[in-house]
Amino acid sequence: MSRQLSKKTLQKVCWRNMFPFQWSWNYETMQGSGYGWVVWPAMKELYGDDPEKMKEMLRAESGYFNTTPAMSHLIVGADLALQEELGTESKDMVMAMKSGLMGPFAGVGDTIFLAIYRAVFFSIASYFALDGVPFGLLIPIITGLFIIFTRYKFTFLGYSQGKKLASEFADRIAPITECASILGLTVVGGLVASVVTYSLDLEFVVGEATLSVQSYLDTMMPKLIPLVIVLFSYWLLGKKKMNSTKLIFVLLALGMVLGNLSRIFGV
Amino acid sequence: MTEISVMALILILCITTLGVLDQYSVQMGFYSPLFSGTLTGLVLGDIQTGLVVGATLQLMSLGIAHYGGATIPDYFSASIMGTAYAIISGNGAEYGIGLAIPIALLLTQLDILARMSHSICKHYMDRYIETLDYRKFTIAHVIGGGTWILSRVFPVFIGLVFGEAVVSAINAVIPDWIMSGLQAAGKILPAMGIAILLKYLPFKKYLAYFLLGFVMLAYGDSIFTILAVAIIGTALALIHYQSITSVKAAPAAVSGDDEEVEIDE
Repeated sequence: MSRQLSKKTLQKVCWRNMFPFQWSWNYETMQGSGYGWVVWPAMKELYGDDPEKMKEMLRAESGYFNTTPAMSHLIVGADLALQEELGTESKDMVMAMKSGLMGPFAGVGDTIFLAIYRAVFFSIASYFALDGVPFGLLIPIITGLFIIFTRYKFTFLGYSQGKKLASEFADRIAPITECASILGLTVVGGLVASVVTYSLDLEFVVGEATLSVQSYLDTMMPKLIPLVIVLFSYWLLGKKKMNSTKLIFVLLALGMVLGNLSRIFGV
Repeated sequence: MTEISVMALILILCITTLGVLDQYSVQMGFYSPLFSGTLTGLVLGDIQTGLVVGATLQLMSLGIAHYGGATIPDYFSASIMGTAYAIISGNGAEYGIGLAIPIALLLTQLDILARMSHSICKHYMDRYIETLDYRKFTIAHVIGGGTWILSRVFPVFIGLVFGEAVVSAINAVIPDWIMSGLQAAGKILPAMGIAILLKYLPFKKYLAYFLLGFVMLAYGDSIFTILAVAIIGTALALIHYQSITSVKAAPAAVSGDDEEVEIDE
């Protein structure tokens, strides 16, 4: 006895997944509590006349869950498709699918929607802003609308794929991630040269000549210092006891030194 | 020094609220230091300073995101306060940026507190599932959003209402050398964001593309802009995509159909 989920309910679920989803994000179940809230309308539609079943599924749906929010739409859609087909019989399958997919989806999702997306679009907007042009801010808004549209599609894509989501996904997404990574890496390379703006303001007076250390370095390779600092940070992050907060302090300390070179060298 | 009007304060708190809601949902931009700085500048009548403070902090924090629910320095609120302080004190964007870094670090803890408070929400939500009380279930979830908003609105409110006092105290207490140090730190901190980004990308595998991007802007910054780099990066990605998808098609064609000859490079 399985009901059909109406498009309207799926849209409600999608909206919830999009906006208030993470409001109760906590360290115990992470997105889990929000997930339960997101699917409530669907649970009501499927099990409304059987409170015990509804409770049982809501409890299951509120368990530990965490992935990139944009990717979660795929899982939610597939989850509901399974339940629509098999009712409470699907419980174990749904839980297995959620646990199995949240990790890999987060890996891909964080890389594309957080790392690459931000690096590309927000840096472009920022450079416009540094030139005093506020209209660059429209870029993230426009791409943001596109993302919202994509997430909407994801809900229905997950729903139509259902069980097949895991295998289909692996095949299709790998080349896309690879290529997005190439775009990301090219941009990040460029960012090293443009975003780390430190240059040595150290000048030595030798006889009648004023020697600027930075211009000497520039003849070797421009932006050498930014490159070195980035590679140094990357290397540090690979070390066991290091995390990003500690790295901030390392860089702050380095900044203290580099910012006061003239004072230190007494020139 | 100018004070902030009540109207401006309210608008800025709205910007803060919008930012938090955006941060944990669709991330269209309002959560970003770029937007929060610019909008604050707009409200306070100096959008240019806001653009500079916001954009600089944005570039500084590019690689830093809530990966897997991690907590990060709060550049968003710091951008608001940094812009406000830069404008109120009249000391300009660099000053605001220098202040924003320690502020961002200090405010990190509030995000953690808000998330911890959500455990209480979760427990109530679990309880209301058992009674199928949808209304209370939703309220518990929404309160979570409320505490998150407060975790940013509260410090921004304090920071702005007592803005003058904070700024004069800072001027009096912090020596020049620390300010120069902070400014230099501000210039190299973006390295951290970039290093984090590199950890998320197949850096070693596609090192070539990284080098290309670097050379374009290190040597060619009079010709290329970051947008140009992005376009070239897209082109390279598409070339790669075509080559991997034709490699996939080739074996199938060879084994399947004897009449067609697949030519690929």
